[in-house]
Amino acid sequence: MSDFVWGGLPYIAFTFLIVGTIVRYVVSERNWTTKSSEFLDKKHAKWGEPIFHFALLCVIGGHVMGILIPQIVTESLGMSETQYHDMALMAGAPAGILLVLAFFYLMWRRFLSGSAAYLKANTSTMDKWLYFFLGITILTGITGTLSNADGAFNYRLFIGPWFRGLLYFDPQPGLMLHIPLIFKIHMLSWMTVAILFPFTRLVHCLSIPFRYLWRAPIVYRKR
Amino acid sequence: MKIKAQVSMALNLDKCIGCHTCSITCKNAWTKRRGAEYMYFNNVETRPGVGYPKHWEDQNKWKGGWVLNNGKLELATGSKTTRLAKLFYHPQQPELKDYFEPWTYDYETLIHSKRKNHQPVARPRSLVTNERMEVTWGPNWDDDLAGGDSARSDENFKKMEEEITMDFHDIFMKYLPRLCNHCLNPACVGACPSGAIYKRDEDGVVLVSQDICRGWRHCIPSCPYKKVFYNWETNKAEKCIFCYPRVENGLPTICSETCVGRIRYMGVLFYDMDKVDEVTHTENPQDIYGKMLDVLLDPNDPAVVEEAKKQGIPDQWIAAAQDSPVYRLVKEWQIALPLHAEYRTVPMVWYIPPMSPILRRMEAQTEFPDTLSMRIPIAYMAQLLSAGNEDVIRRILRKLLDVRGYMRLRETKKSTAQYDTIYGENTLYDMFRLLSIAKYRDRFNIPTGNNVSREDKEVLQGADGFPGCEGGCFQ
Ligand code: SF4
Ligand code: SF4
Ligand code: SF4
Repeated sequence: MSDFVWGGLPYIAFTFLIVGTIVRYVVSERNWTTKSSEFLDKKHAKWGEPIFHFALLCVIGGHVMGILIPQIVTESLGMSETQYHDMALMAGAPAGILLVLAFFYLMWRRFLSGSAAYLKANTSTMDKWLYFFLGITILTGITGTLSNADGAFNYRLFIGPWFRGLLYFDPQPGLMLHIPLIFKIHMLSWMTVAILFPFTRLVHCLSIPFRYLWRAPIVYRKR
Repeated sequence: MKIKAQVSMALNLDKCIGCHTCSITCKNAWTKRRGAEYMYFNNVETRPGVGYPKHWEDQNKWKGGWVLNNGKLELATGSKTTRLAKLFYHPQQPELKDYFEPWTYDYETLIHSKRKNHQPVARPRSLVTNERMEVTWGPNWDDDLAGGDSARSDENFKKMEEEITMDFHDIFMKYLPRLCNHCLNPACVGACPSGAIYKRDEDGVVLVSQDICRGWRHCIPSCPYKKVFYNWETNKAEKCIFCYPRVENGLPTICSETCVGRIRYMGVLFYDMDKVDEVTHTENPQDIYGKMLDVLLDPNDPAVVEEAKKQGIPDQWIAAAQDSPVYRLVKEWQIALPLHAEYRTVPMVWYIPPMSPILRRMEAQTEFPDTLSMRIPIAYMAQLLSAGNEDVIRRILRKLLDVRGYMRLRETKKSTAQYDTIYGENTLYDMFRLLSIAKYRDRFNIPTGNNVSREDKEVLQGADGFPGCEGGCFQ
């Protein structure tokens, strides 16, 4: 069972993430959008949206560093594990807390605020599932981080190598057997989010329009 | 010289009766869908008034159009990099309440209501939330100057030097039908981060690709005319499509076809693409109109025709450009003006300033009224149509008055020599024919077919014929 969860499920999630996204792009680019709700409620979007996205980008950046860079590398650069952990906590915790606050603010905006009736028009059932699993991912993430503030559980020796193993197609489910429960839930919920990804508004993160920066202002196209 | 063809429209405001037929036929054809109920690709607003969406001309608020920044043309919403930061939240984006909340009525209650002492009523229900709502604003809420406050807060008054009191005895109004201008320098296109909005090479129609649009919403504030809309159901941008399925088949747009006042003209204009930059970089906004005329090419000039042929513009397009009612109104007679040219998008929908209400008031006193004492303040029209240059408006109104003077003489069999020496033999009569009689065939001249040669059409139909004939097999 745990072999499947830590050795098979991630690949199922990756497959959905990659193949599903490609299929959606090819089959129905027409509904590939940010699904912006600013038109229906501008007041609360003003602070909520930019802060949420900013915090999210910070947190993603932190994950890339923490998971993809092996401990040996930082150690060979002369940074001890405790130093690294302190640094990660100093930068990660505020970003994480900001993310939690912004996320719940946006959820309040969407479901409870005075604009909720309007935002209903912008919220599909799939969106609700997405927010549910995204919420769990974010909450377990911040709880895991804060509860592990002393660094007792060194995730860079377990989760990091496990994830990199997945990328090398050399899964090592054994590494994950004894990690704290909160991190296990965090893993399962991000995998769910990855599976949902192609079916949700999340796809817009792949459309950041960098090309705009060097495009000619006026676009001409033949019929 | 890079010659481009542009399908263009001119509207004779003198004859608009404010019937909204254009808005309704357009709506029935294109925007009667969930998420698009609030959109009016074509709307007719009473001026003075706040318009639709409210205060769309207030560019301090919306930052629409382009601005010259030390001689460099920039979108008023900011440079490219600063605008990428607005992806998450765009401070200048209009929201639903700036237009109006679309609603329907609970008609069911009229039929299913139980027997009561009072008549059942159908109460309004929002089409966005499906909940009961109070209707407090709608399209044309201020039609015909209803609720004087709206008229008083017209944006153009703020820029005018003379005081407009809107007292009853000198109150004025006119109708302004508005649609996308299919600009030569469209701010919506320049603002779209995804590159989803484009100007069609063949006919200049500006369209939003529903596949490529990602809902970044930058086009909406950037269009100074507020003619791009956000569909809250599909979450993509939509705009007037210049009824391209009809135009491609040589038919006028729906709003033109159904116009009750027969005020709309459609035809082809040729312009020199290389010179558009000069127009948009004109220092003084009042000079933009003149520069716009310079960009338009004379389709009867043999050099232009030859060059157009060389650049692959098909013969039927050249013929249409040579017999284009819009070219006549805009360039030959110079009586049609662009709306708010100072936004620097180089709009391709033109307006002939109105004058009827003035004439009637003056007629009692003098046979040839003076444009100065007209009912609609020239200064007001100049704000709308000539970036504040009153001389342009006065010159056009003078011409329109001369058409009337000329026709009066002609109909009473008197000598028209006094006009003929200024305008030439038949010019004023031609203007009368096109403006007043306005036959369907005279109003519209749109070439059929696209830039596809006969051979290419065969290929498109799948009849490839004999592969391998260089340059087509039907020569
Ligand atoms: S009027 Fe607005 S939407 Fe239309 S082409 Fe011009 S800038 Fe774009
Ligand atoms: S051209 Fe067509 S789409 Fe555009 S306003 Fe007129 S009727 Fe509507
Ligand atoms: S249909 Fe013609 S006359 Fe009627 S409001 Fe529209 S433009 Fe004016």
